[in-house]
Amino acid sequence: MHPGLSDNWVSVVLIFMLLIIAWSLVGKPVAYRPRHISLRKLPFIGQALHTMVTRPWVLLLFRFMFVAIFLLVIISGLFGTPIAERNLATTLTWTLWWTGLIIATYFLGSAWCAVCPWDVLATWLVRLRLWRRGSNINSFNLRVPKSIRNIWLASAMFIALTWLELGFGLTVSPYATAILSLVIVILAVLSQVIYERKAFCRYFCSVGRTIGFYASLSPLALRPVDQNICADCKTLECFKGTEDIEPCPTHLVIGRSQQNTFCTSCGACTQSCPYQNVNWAIRKSGAEAIYHVRPSWDESWFILILVALTSFHGITMLPVWEAWISQWAQMIGDSGQLLWSFSSGMFISLMVPIGMFAFIIKLIQFLLSDQELEFKRLFALFGMAFLPLAFAYHLAHNLNHLVRESRGITEVFLNPLGSGTLPLSHHEVHLRHMNPLISQDILFALQAGLMMFGFWFAIRILLQRMDSLAITHSAVNTVIKSGMLVLISGVSLFNLWLLIQPMVMRM
Amino acid sequence: MNSYKIMNKNSFIKTILVLLGVSLSLHALAHHVLGRPSYSLGEDSNTPPSMQVETQIGDYYVTYMAFPAFPKANEPGRVNLYASRIDNGQSFTGKVTFSVMDDSWFSSKIETIGSQMSDDSVFRQGFIISEDGNYIIRAEFESGGEPYIIDFPLRIGEPLPIGPLGVSVAIIFLILISVNVIQRRRLQRMKTGRHHAETE
Repeated sequence: MHPGLSDNWVSVVLIFMLLIIAWSLVGKPVAYRPRHISLRKLPFIGQALHTMVTRPWVLLLFRFMFVAIFLLVIISGLFGTPIAERNLATTLTWTLWWTGLIIATYFLGSAWCAVCPWDVLATWLVRLRLWRRGSNINSFNLRVPKSIRNIWLASAMFIALTWLELGFGLTVSPYATAILSLVIVILAVLSQVIYERKAFCRYFCSVGRTIGFYASLSPLALRPVDQNICADCKTLECFKGTEDIEPCPTHLVIGRSQQNTFCTSCGACTQSCPYQNVNWAIRKSGAEAIYHVRPSWDESWFILILVALTSFHGITMLPVWEAWISQWAQMIGDSGQLLWSFSSGMFISLMVPIGMFAFIIKLIQFLLSDQELEFKRLFALFGMAFLPLAFAYHLAHNLNHLVRESRGITEVFLNPLGSGTLPLSHHEVHLRHMNPLISQDILFALQAGLMMFGFWFAIRILLQRMDSLAITHSAVNTVIKSGMLVLISGVSLFNLWLLIQPMVMRM
Repeated sequence: MNSYKIMNKNSFIKTILVLLGVSLSLHALAHHVLGRPSYSLGEDSNTPPSMQVETQIGDYYVTYMAFPAFPKANEPGRVNLYASRIDNGQSFTGKVTFSVMDDSWFSSKIETIGSQMSDDSVFRQGFIISEDGNYIIRAEFESGGEPYIIDFPLRIGEPLPIGPLGVSVAIIFLILISVNVIQRRRLQRMKTGRHHAETE
């Protein structure tokens, strides 16, 4: 079992939270000064990066590499050993990729989407080109119907994936992991065959949407090198594409966009811009989440689902989880793999934070019944404040898995199918446990830092969103702010409590 | 009272439910199963089990394993079963009867392969199956006057050569070829229509 966060660090986080709460009661949102530094302008790195983003072969090389690894994962999963910790499919997918992805998203934004093998394979198969503008002969290129031009399907996919991961035991089944990978490739192909551009990435892919939202906290994003060039541009190649280059797969005009949530970093805009004016830029961490992400009903739901399910991950890894689920199964008369008990437990975990959020909004509405505040508007507006909490806990939790469970990954790479291997012995489990990739003290410091980071950004988003409501009456402001503060603090404290608990190893 | 137990009159339905649950999760285990107790060792082969299932039924946790890693026709295999009470962790020490049946649509043949007493709390049942295929191993025991029936799937021999990879490739190509044909016909119709319009 992984030991939980130490008391000293918990005290530091609690003191920090108290100070931030006190500040939030009197503080005002920080005035925004839009600023980013294009990496293109940096000496040495700038030129190299410019070559990388404007030449298709660099990205193509990365895509080949990731597709090759993906195919190896599938082969290992289908034909390799069923021992999860010895098979590349499970160790690479769940220990390295799924945990590392969240860390990478913070530092590299949505860069993963550019090399995502699901989309790359689907694009190669449907467009019949490895790069450049592909053929339309294998696609109906229909516009996505308005009814699904939202991320409800991505939310549903996210719930389904979590159910498969935790309830069905996907993380310990190489075979099921490979099957899931194949199914998602089929879904991506199907989407490209029916709809224009990259509807799967934009509307349906829960991994892409998770990355998209988390990337809004990242200090890295694709941005114009010179804003004025984009402001004067009439041809919009970044949006429409050129004869050779695909249009923006998610319908963005990158030069004028402040929100990168739906950017897949595919490189189409960097390659199609006749002025070569789009490149990676460094910006203030979290600025996009605080100032630019537009409130949206479906996106707010997605974020709350993210909050609920990341915490649920932690709950299922508590040592008492099995006893709870077993008792629950006996109460409801479930037997076998306890899928009904698990599903109902997951549903309750999902509904509790969302229900509390809805309840507080209803309460605010009730208390301020003369203000005509719409439920949907408030729901959409404040959902975003919970994103940093989900991100911080997700990362803190995943760090635990990554640093304690990724020992031995080299052996798995050398023998991806796990031929002739035996399950981990007690001794090996113990060794892994005792020799994390980084020291436990550093891990705890990082986890505590993340919890403070999440809380700090959640409060900043809250204050900014309060400001955008433009309510002049201070009592009204106080009621709304207090309600949201209670919930943000509640979620943070619950996540902190989860981190304090010892956590069961995944494999 | 004790409605969650498998009762005689509705044991069939509940067995099916358990079977479905277990079949859906061949290797699906909670990620907390880390101990490798005696029942996880195969006496006949130094391999991991081909399948390991933990399940909860009535008053018992049941752990089941099949050895060797890849059971083959006409070669000896073994199932190990371990049952412990949920409330106090006490092992079940009665008698367990194992039977096997063909898991195909039109087969109802069931054959008892043996009854075993507890050996160090583990019920070990050897088997030799003469043909490749999908089978169900059924373990039955009685406790507190209630019958318990647990079904587990077992694969003997290699699965069909056209596996999930083949199915996926077939689905993708079927989709692509169908759309390609439809699109080409549509383009052809448009071309013909345009040609007619120009000539008139």
